[in-house]
Amino acid sequence: MNTREFDVIILGGGITGAGTQRDCAMRGLRTLLIERSDIATGATGRNHGLLHSGARYAVNDPESAAECIRENLILRRIASHCVEETDGLFITLPEDDLAYQQTFTDACRAAGIGAEIIDPDLARRLEPSVNPALTGAVRVPDGSVDPFRLCAANMLDAKLRGGQVRLHTEVTGFIREADAIVGVHTRNRQTGACEDFFAPVVVNACGIWGQHIAALAGVGINMYPAKGALLIFAHRINRMVINRCRKPSNADILVPGDTVCVIGTTSTRIPFEECDHVAVTPEEVTLLVTEGALLAPALSSTRILRAYAGVRPLVSSDDDPTGRNISRGIVCLDHESRDGLKGFVTITGGKLMTYRLMAEIATDAVCRKLGVERACETATTPLPGSEERSYEAVARKIWEAPSMAQKAAAARMGTGVSRIRSGKRSDEALICECEEVSVGEINSAIDHLEVSTLTDLRRRTRVGMGTCQGEFCACRAAGLLARAHGCVEREREDLSDFLQERWKGNFPIGWGDTLREAEYTQWVYKHVLGL
Amino acid sequence: MRFDTVIIGGGLAGLVAGISLQKEGRSTAIVSAGQNALHFFSGSFESLEEAPQRLSELFGEAGIRLHYCSGIRLMPLGTFRPAALSLEDVSLFETPGFARKALIVNFAGYHDFFTSFLAEGLEKAGIACRIQALDLPELERIQASPSEMRSVQIARTMDRIWEKVVREVGALLGDEDTVILPQVFGLRDITVPGRIRQAMPARVVFVGTLPPSVPGIRTQALLKRRYEVLGGTYLSGDEVLEADLEDGTVQSVATRNLGTHRLLAEDFILASGGYFSKGLRSNPFRIWEPVFGLDVDFAGDRTAWYDPAFAADQPYMAYGVKTDASLHPLLDGMPVKNLYAVGSVLGATRPEFGSGAGLAVRSAFRAVDAILKEEAL
Repeated sequence: MNTREFDVIILGGGITGAGTQRDCAMRGLRTLLIERSDIATGATGRNHGLLHSGARYAVNDPESAAECIRENLILRRIASHCVEETDGLFITLPEDDLAYQQTFTDACRAAGIGAEIIDPDLARRLEPSVNPALTGAVRVPDGSVDPFRLCAANMLDAKLRGGQVRLHTEVTGFIREADAIVGVHTRNRQTGACEDFFAPVVVNACGIWGQHIAALAGVGINMYPAKGALLIFAHRINRMVINRCRKPSNADILVPGDTVCVIGTTSTRIPFEECDHVAVTPEEVTLLVTEGALLAPALSSTRILRAYAGVRPLVSSDDDPTGRNISRGIVCLDHESRDGLKGFVTITGGKLMTYRLMAEIATDAVCRKLGVERACETATTPLPGSEERSYEAVARKIWEAPSMAQKAAAARMGTGVSRIRSGKRSDEALICECEEVSVGEINSAIDHLEVSTLTDLRRRTRVGMGTCQGEFCACRAAGLLARAHGCVEREREDLSDFLQERWKGNFPIGWGDTLREAEYTQWVYKHVLGL
Repeated sequence: MRFDTVIIGGGLAGLVAGISLQKEGRSTAIVSAGQNALHFFSGSFESLEEAPQRLSELFGEAGIRLHYCSGIRLMPLGTFRPAALSLEDVSLFETPGFARKALIVNFAGYHDFFTSFLAEGLEKAGIACRIQALDLPELERIQASPSEMRSVQIARTMDRIWEKVVREVGALLGDEDTVILPQVFGLRDITVPGRIRQAMPARVVFVGTLPPSVPGIRTQALLKRRYEVLGGTYLSGDEVLEADLEDGTVQSVATRNLGTHRLLAEDFILASGGYFSKGLRSNPFRIWEPVFGLDVDFAGDRTAWYDPAFAADQPYMAYGVKTDASLHPLLDGMPVKNLYAVGSVLGATRPEFGSGAGLAVRSAFRAVDAILKEEAL
């Protein structure tokens, strides 16, 4: 367990890092994943959660579009418990050019995306929330995907195959021997403990922060940080994904997911130093609300739950430091051929949708360096949780007459739901009523999914993601975490951090019912509970 | 329907005003939309210490005793706060080291009472702690539903079986001098917490749970009963929709349930609460008072409404209706002569009234005095 030597060390606990660790582990390598914070804290957890069909890119970037649809179909198979097959609409509004529809559909078909022009009347029946003024609609195989769950499933599979994971651990420097990277110095940000780890290959999968990691290794990568802001609504008003059928623009995708829906996004270049502290501005909120209501008018009267923003890990090409020639494609850099630095690979660019392909490309590069010849199997091997396709079937296999909460858990965890201890009434008590998360599901996440804080727990179970934004469940879950970790003082601080993190996403949209809820929460914690 | 005074809002401020006016022989009606801040009352009157004589009297006549001693009180997450005027459920101590050894007792499967936080807080104060859970068959029925193990449901059972709980806790007691229990006792019978204290062979300290607050709900029920015994008309589950003003004076208000039968009165009291109670409403551009459209004091730039730190005093909480010195709210800059604003519709704090329950009570008394004085003239 305490070995410090591995075949490969992967830096970054986003979906690319977790996917790369899984692929490496499946090819028989001894792996270690190091993440400075928690899984899915960067761009992985800060996007629409859209299972792109690729249609959005079909006209401008046919190559990305073709990649997307291939990966889309793969994820439906290997990650069925993270995916909801909703389908999507590309709608034309009276102010849009209906002629674009044909260009769009032709491009989709050329990229292998099943795009079908349907009657606006049919679109209104299929998706009652859609703007009834639409003049055209195209149906495409979009869907929604839960990136937290997807990331956790990749990490869990890597662990089941012997991989090790160090969360809340940052790389403070690289260990070099002549012209090769042979290991990393790390520091645990919670305990302060410093450790060194060794491997002949280190993979940089740190997204936008990869620029900093590369600099630590003494090589240059020129990232182009582009902030995207999104809003989550407190109710799920649409069944299907709704997009605008026009050239990609701001706030033109509305994605349903679990109990909510998400509108986004914007795109603004920000200085690299701001990547750790992105904030949503009032102008962005106004833009998202206004444009969102054009897709689905009900949004203008629906409570907004949170505002959040992510940073796309775009890469400026090597000969263009100005950033004008931005690639949205996958970038894999072997620093041996590029910079003369052995044992170091950077995988970046790409999208959530193509994480598996990125992992495959990075793992191929690692295997070439290690002289390992084993084919990639991630496209056909289901992730843990997705061995069965229907959550109803999963729930029924475990419980004779599953309750609503048990069905919700099965939808979240797939076959992994069998890890939940059950049979005891005390395990079935609900901690989070908004999202129906039970004591058993929380304990199971604590036992298997590397949870050290309430925010970690939220990413793995949806605790605190619902309409009350953690008002009551935060406290209850803190009680369980305090017991599991045996440290109340740390837990009290954790609770404050969690509430602060929730508030960060609430105040940019602090009016109406959101402000009512915030007033209640702030009053209860300060004056009633005494935090 | 005609009354001397119509009160909008049935929380602490509205009830204190209503009871005081009824006692002076005025006929009043209270329009209450439903739950109010008493449902998550900590049991302590923020910003009040020694009870004003008339408050002790008013609560005493409703069957509620209040107490105060200079020192501290224990909060549900194991922290200490300065003591404030409190219900008897709340124990007040001179120092944090109020005991030698404490037994903290919870009910198995109840997650809204924070035993490990309490133990940590007490141990920091030098009090050794032991945590025990009672597994009671009487709670099984509630536990069968995953979301029913909450304070009020448990309290309903405790009303029946508190004597058994005292015996079982007594049996768990070792050499502890203090027992710590959740505040889930005496929902309907206010004497229960006192009787538990008498029957237990150790000192009993009740500590708050997650809302709803059992002592708060009981307080609301007792004050409402007192108000009705005095002849007040309490309109539950109703809501004032709009008001009719003439020459800067309120003539009548309309409610959802009464429809065209408007409520007429000489004076009106607005005790409709803050944002949570919908006494104040907001959209991205403004904050307003929905019944009369009164002038509200708020920053025009929305970004100034919030402090990015969750724990900071939030600017939006301080916003409320503007009034003159006699609590007459302003409408387009002019005071409305026969209308008084009390409680958190004034904003969370006012220098002369304090905040929370203190603000509710002090401002209600001020309005009552003004109404009575006016009539005497």
